[in-house]
Amino acid sequence: MTLTHLNARGEAHMVDVADKQETRREARARGSVHMQAATLALLSEGGLPKGDVLATARIAGIQAAKRTHELIPLCHALALSKVTIEFTLDEAESCVHVEAFCRLNGRTGVEMEALTAVSVACLTLYDMCKAVDKGMTIDGVRLEEKRGGRSGDWSREPMPEPAAATSRDPSAEAEKPAEAEKSAAISPTSGVKIQFLAELRERFETAECVLEWARLPSRDIAGVKLALINQDPKYKALLNQRVLCARNEAMSQNEAAVAPGDEIAFFPPVTGG
Amino acid sequence: MKIVINVQQDAFNTEVEQARLTEGRSDIGAIVSFTGWVRDFNERPDVSALTLEHFPGMTEKALHVIAREAGERWALQGATIIHRVGRLEPGDAIVLVMTASAHRRAAFEACDFIMDYLKTRAPFWKKEHTDSGSYWVSERQSDREAASRWEHS
Repeated sequence: MTLTHLNARGEAHMVDVADKQETRREARARGSVHMQAATLALLSEGGLPKGDVLATARIAGIQAAKRTHELIPLCHALALSKVTIEFTLDEAESCVHVEAFCRLNGRTGVEMEALTAVSVACLTLYDMCKAVDKGMTIDGVRLEEKRGGRSGDWSREPMPEPAAATSRDPSAEAEKPAEAEKSAAISPTSGVKIQFLAELRERFETAECVLEWARLPSRDIAGVKLALINQDPKYKALLNQRVLCARNEAMSQNEAAVAPGDEIAFFPPVTGG
Repeated sequence: MKIVINVQQDAFNTEVEQARLTEGRSDIGAIVSFTGWVRDFNERPDVSALTLEHFPGMTEKALHVIAREAGERWALQGATIIHRVGRLEPGDAIVLVMTASAHRRAAFEACDFIMDYLKTRAPFWKKEHTDSGSYWVSERQSDREAASRWEHS
């Protein structure tokens, strides 16, 4: 294993990426800010003295992603094509989950941008709420997945694999798919539970099924759809843009990451009221 | 802000819900309530019944999110959303949205907002039954346009 930011003399240097191929690079990072239940309630009711906390933290995270190269010494300046920041208020855990997603077509990965975006969004949440709660903690800032580039795709396994997580050595990367298959075979939660609701349930004559993790061509909603279509062409109807999807009861798009044990529901546009 | 969310088969009673929303408070100046009823005509002219399906767990969460967002936009003291599921017939009440605020404007607008978002974001699906067969109701462009009004205001 080598550290790419050290040269042959062990000195820090910026990696020359001029000759690398431009490819689609994506990264997703997460973190959480734990707080008192009362602070979370104030946040959701918009009752905090500094105003709209989540909107401000979102802009802060996006701005931070764009300025990562100014903060992290050996990072390249990147023209990001997409940065999104999402917040989930978790009353059970009394925290705000922060998720950042970065994308570009380029020569270097965007993991540092996603991690910086999450960190600064968390710091901004702290700043906006500290008047009422100084004991908040920022926890679990981590990379969830990355795609593209020489070291290929990576996503966090449910079981932590710290050695593989930081490896850039191609031989170590090559062992990963086999390991992933092995853990998929022995884990009871290795499948993804699929539900079809309303008209889709009737059309497919299926209420629910389980997809084996190993069948997913990519670890996101788009991958779940492709795996279902590989199983039976009738599921091509899921590619219709009107079909909606929820992952663990939250609305999700094609690019949303999927983990073993997730519950994915597909349904038509809603018609209540 | 007090939030009451219920997805239920049984009929609801507007007066009971109003009493629940205002219980123990004397600072409420306005209650606005909207009740949706089942019509005997819709996509076809002879609707004899409809069946309401929801996604247990997610539907309740989605309604909570809508109520909280209304509370962020207007100074509400409370909001109630009750939606029935199962088989309903023309003349049955299907949905109740009730908002409470100190002054009427907030309650009027929040009630309107909650119904627009409920119709486009809460996981409910209607199947209508007629003499000539049953069919799933299609979403309406007018509902999407009504909901999008709130995105620029």
